[in-house]
Amino acid sequence: MHRQRALAAAALAASMTAAACGAPGDDKGDSDSGSGPIKLAVVNAQSGQLSSLGAWELKGAKLAVSEWNKRGGIDGRKISLKVFDDQGDPTVGTNLARKVDSQGYIAMIGTAESAVTLAMAPVLRQAEIPNITSGQAPAMPELGSPFLFLNGPTSDTYDETLAKYLVDTKGMKKIAMVTNNGSFGKGEHDAFMAALTKRGVKPLTDQVVTTEQKDFSAALSKIRAAKPDVIFLGAEEVESGLIVKQARDLGIKEPFAGAAPQGTPVFAKTAGTENAGGTIVSTPYLSNESSPAAEKFAAAYEAAFDEEAELHGAKAYDGTNIVLTALKNSKVATGAKLAEAIRDTKYQGLLGDFAFDKTGVGIFKTDIGQIKDGKLVAID
Amino acid sequence: MQIFFQTLVGGLSLGAVYALVAMGFSLVYRTMGLVNFAHGNVVMIGAYVASTFYLTVTLPFIPAMLIALAVTGAIGLVIERVLRPLENKDFTLMLIGTIGFGIVLEALATLIWGATGRAVRNPVQAAPVELLGLRIRTYDLVVLAVAAAATVALVLFLQRTKRGAAMQAVAMNHEAATAVGIHVGRSNAVAFGIGASLAALAGSLAGPLLYVSPTMGGTLGIHGFAAMAIGGFGSIPGAIVGGLSIGVLGSYSAGHFEGYSELVTFLVFTVAIMIRPTGIFGETTVNRA
Repeated sequence: MHRQRALAAAALAASMTAAACGAPGDDKGDSDSGSGPIKLAVVNAQSGQLSSLGAWELKGAKLAVSEWNKRGGIDGRKISLKVFDDQGDPTVGTNLARKVDSQGYIAMIGTAESAVTLAMAPVLRQAEIPNITSGQAPAMPELGSPFLFLNGPTSDTYDETLAKYLVDTKGMKKIAMVTNNGSFGKGEHDAFMAALTKRGVKPLTDQVVTTEQKDFSAALSKIRAAKPDVIFLGAEEVESGLIVKQARDLGIKEPFAGAAPQGTPVFAKTAGTENAGGTIVSTPYLSNESSPAAEKFAAAYEAAFDEEAELHGAKAYDGTNIVLTALKNSKVATGAKLAEAIRDTKYQGLLGDFAFDKTGVGIFKTDIGQIKDGKLVAID
Repeated sequence: MQIFFQTLVGGLSLGAVYALVAMGFSLVYRTMGLVNFAHGNVVMIGAYVASTFYLTVTLPFIPAMLIALAVTGAIGLVIERVLRPLENKDFTLMLIGTIGFGIVLEALATLIWGATGRAVRNPVQAAPVELLGLRIRTYDLVVLAVAAAATVALVLFLQRTKRGAAMQAVAMNHEAATAVGIHVGRSNAVAFGIGASLAALAGSLAGPLLYVSPTMGGTLGIHGFAAMAIGGFGSIPGAIVGGLSIGVLGSYSAGHFEGYSELVTFLVFTVAIMIRPTGIFGETTVNRA
């Protein structure tokens, strides 16, 4: 009896091991073969503090792919989209880059975090897999990878527009800065500092926080003592929200100014709608009403996901459309040829007219908006 | 000078949360000689339960917190019950068991509440208190007061009640305690239950200060564990001193070393542990591991 049970257990264990071994290696199909669906990978954070970004990105990419599939795909082939969770972690990202390669995906959408994209870029470059990212750190184009493209402007563009508005238009010279030391925050810091230096403005104080920090009273006390007109904020959505919330608690009433993260609902919700009011935002996608194309996109997005569209979904939608257009133009080329095709794609997107330069940046313009009642509106 | 004190105030409220986390760690450690590695995740569950009842069910903050305390207390009892057969048999497996529970809790939270996390609005709307140019958030005062009350209640329980005395006895010598008729398993269960409730208290208080997400247990757990180590494994006063030290230390290193603050905080922690391995109030007698 005992023996039988042991045997059964052993058999069960063996079958489980077999199943476990079988799981990772599934799907070894090769899409270079010219038949079957065209395989695109979406790599983005689906868990962790940055997962709201990843969720928006995925929705934008899904919407674009489903529209193309409805129109019959490319060359009679359907497009398949598979999502990988990078958890916002560069180490996980590099592993996923190898997976994307070994499982035969021909292009990758994502990620939304510059740090992860930077970590993945060398592997993808070696594997010759074009990658269109939503990150905005200037360090990415500086890599000079011919396979890396950005679906939006870099921090240089965001912060030059912002500095131009704050200093030149509004005449604000007393500026304090708080940025985090991650890839995104560092990019924002350097870009905004360069834009200020160009205008002969020196920030009153330049505070750096970590990406994991939760208590900002030291940095905020120094900012409060410096009495600035405006505070430049370079951190991701949730951290930016926490900083603004704590700043208001400490009695700092001056407005904050920043780039993409400060335009999102997550930022406004974390900070509290009232606290976030008045935040000045440099963004390439002001609102869902800014153009007929944006209105159409927003309606389709809402119908598909029962949720209001915002910048990151729009960026991923543009990025995915660019890749798909390039695939169509090149008759489903792969590798270096596909990268060339992406570079040659001129695309009128939600963010503006894309025309890629040799560093992989396709758009060089943002607008200034302001948060009112938790929503981003064009500045009057 | 003003910045110096403002930084101190900022570090204290987060320090009080770390102290509560450390107290939960300590209570289980002193009773069972076990580090409950699921503790950080229990903190996270507490934060989620409290925020759900506060934001979604729109109960007032205090009742929401009490529900969270009850829920995590029950989770603590379950963890202890599952691990009980291993007590005094395989210590390493017990440790691994707590790690496993932690992973399960994190996965459960992702299933129930999603991976994105949520911001909790401040339950105290009163304006900050102005004192000699310092601004003290009213909510910080609430956190400190609740943490202090919880500490007093715990100490009274351990010293003044029969059950508490029994737990102390088990902590000192569990074989002798068994011999005089104390139910060691039940005593352990109570330790786990109270430890988990303390975790919920820490989690629900941390909600409005931080951002509630399934991964928040990691950071809070590590800081709480460091606080217990610095204060002395298993010591209740040590947990409080350690928690406040880690909070204030983090706040100052954030002010001076900015981007390198985490590095500096844990370097100081390492040096402190090297100089005094038992921690400030280290009780070697409790060490059963």
